[in-house]
Amino acid sequence: MIEIDAVTVSFGGVTALNTLTVQLDAPVVGIIGPNGAGKTTFLNVLSGFVRPNSGRIHAFGRELTGMQPHQRAQWGLRRSFQKEQAVDELTVEDNVRVVLDSLPLSRDVVEDALTGALEFTGISAIRRRSVAGLNAFERRMTELARCVAGSPKLILLDEPGAGFSQSEVATLRSVINGIAETIGARTFLIDHDVDLIQATCQRTIVLDFGSLVTYGETASVLADPKVRAVYLGMEET
Amino acid sequence: MMASDPPVVSTPALAVWRSRSIGLLLLVAALAFLPPLLLASLWLKVLTGVAIYTLTAAAIALLYRRLGLVSLAHVALMGAGGWVGLRLAYGLGTPFEVNMLAGGIAAAGLGMVFAYPALRMRGLYLALVTLMIAGAFAIIVNVLQFPNGGGGWSGFAVKSAGYMPRPAIATSDVGYYAYCVVVTALGMALIHWHEIGKAGRAWALIRRSEAAAMSSGVDVPFYKVWAFALSGFLAGIAGVLLAGNLQMLDARSFPAAESVMIFALTIVGGAWNPVGALIAAALYRLVPALLNDFGVNGDAAYIIFGAALIHALATAPRGIAGQLEDLASRLFGRSNGGNTR
Ligand SMILES: Nc1ncnc2c1ncn2[C@@H]1O[C@H](COP(=O)(O)OP(=O)(O)O)[C@@H](O)[C@H]1O
Ligand SMILES: [Mg+2]
Repeated sequence: MIEIDAVTVSFGGVTALNTLTVQLDAPVVGIIGPNGAGKTTFLNVLSGFVRPNSGRIHAFGRELTGMQPHQRAQWGLRRSFQKEQAVDELTVEDNVRVVLDSLPLSRDVVEDALTGALEFTGISAIRRRSVAGLNAFERRMTELARCVAGSPKLILLDEPGAGFSQSEVATLRSVINGIAETIGARTFLIDHDVDLIQATCQRTIVLDFGSLVTYGETASVLADPKVRAVYLGMEET
Repeated sequence: MMASDPPVVSTPALAVWRSRSIGLLLLVAALAFLPPLLLASLWLKVLTGVAIYTLTAAAIALLYRRLGLVSLAHVALMGAGGWVGLRLAYGLGTPFEVNMLAGGIAAAGLGMVFAYPALRMRGLYLALVTLMIAGAFAIIVNVLQFPNGGGGWSGFAVKSAGYMPRPAIATSDVGYYAYCVVVTALGMALIHWHEIGKAGRAWALIRRSEAAAMSSGVDVPFYKVWAFALSGFLAGIAGVLLAGNLQMLDARSFPAAESVMIFALTIVGGAWNPVGALIAAALYRLVPALLNDFGVNGDAAYIIFGAALIHALATAPRGIAGQLEDLASRLFGRSNGGNTR
């Protein structure tokens, strides 16, 4: 259970999140809303990059609000970025290994965790290749492998599917669908692809102008007239 | 601007380094033992200088390559290490190795102090701050002077100029040259060992983006400070080696401008390849000496270096070493083990 309690973030005059209060308890939670709704800001607050002006965050009974980003990562929070952040000069394997470096694990456990994460994301075959030579999807999967390595508790994905083909999104979908069972982590997923949200998220939260529009079962959220009104006239591709 | 993008073909050098460690050992041995057979003693002292400044250039390149940071204070760090080494040598008569480690540790501490501004700024601003620190060092050391065996805290006496003892196993010029080559090789191995491990991965992420590093659990300030400490440590060691080479140090040998020069040459030589540090040091020590030998004023070197820096920044971001690497892979086909793109 992740509890968001009256979190407010403002950047100058812009209120990016407005007293957001919600308790998120599904294995995979979708986060949708038009551009500028505050979705990325919400992930930034969860991962510690943006300090909320007020409000608190608890995850599985632990208060996260005061923790540094790297401490949250070591605690079990992972994230991917809207703009993918794989490191060219490292191998695929070392891109993933870095997240295990900061955890108090024995050498054997690290190797197992590494192999597990690479297999789970389907990139074992290229584990020793330099990221510089990979295509966009392989880079995204490398980043995803970094997110699932080392028994995380909560994984935040910011538009992981943007710009990929149908078949690539299908691969991504099955990976996300496996996280809860295989990795044992909760996932928050931002995406504009409603099909992907429908196929992976049990529950979905809708943001607009930093405020909560609704939260509930994905199917009923997507059918909600309020939600349709938010998207009216700004159909995303 | 100065912190240029990491070049695409950065791995071959590492791969070569890893797979040919025996060849490297032979290379170090050859560098250490062959030149003395061929050269007069004056040139041997110059070559010893090349070996020492190779370590300094490698330390500068580490910061530039891994964190994109420009340090214009490394000659000052050398001076600080040398100061401590001399002080211990005269004051306590401790063995050279102890003095060297102490000089390295002192410079590492100073490097960590430099890291403090680096946590907040980058690029030109940081470069200017490090340059100011180098300037401050030049002034301080002008007042204090380097220890020369005198009494008091600074150990400086106007008259009694003594000589700093060299390591017991390498008192001759020939032996000391080999000693410096070996210490420099060990220092570069220490850099390499960091780069292929935890620290190297953390630095690579920091360089990619600090946000990505933090969200992967990397303690960004810690690893930045660590890089400065390591870089300072090696510069400090180089400083003590220099003190041993000349057997004394002079306040005039560490002006802030020298820090700028050795940084520029590190870029010209190539910050992405260990050979680049050697090229940088060779340019720094050999070119002025050669020009003098030909009867040209050694300061003409500055003009050549300036042109080379402009060339490097404009067309060859991986420096001369990078160009040599390209040339080699063109000549010998794509022989760098699967790193072709
Ligand atoms: N670092 C920032 N500084 C100033 N304004 C920001 C910053 N980050 C986001 N914003 C603003 O906050 C609002 C929400 O942005 P964001 O969370 O990125 O939206 P989304 O991800 O839903 O498209 C936008 O108006 C955006 O311009
Ligand atoms: Mg966004």
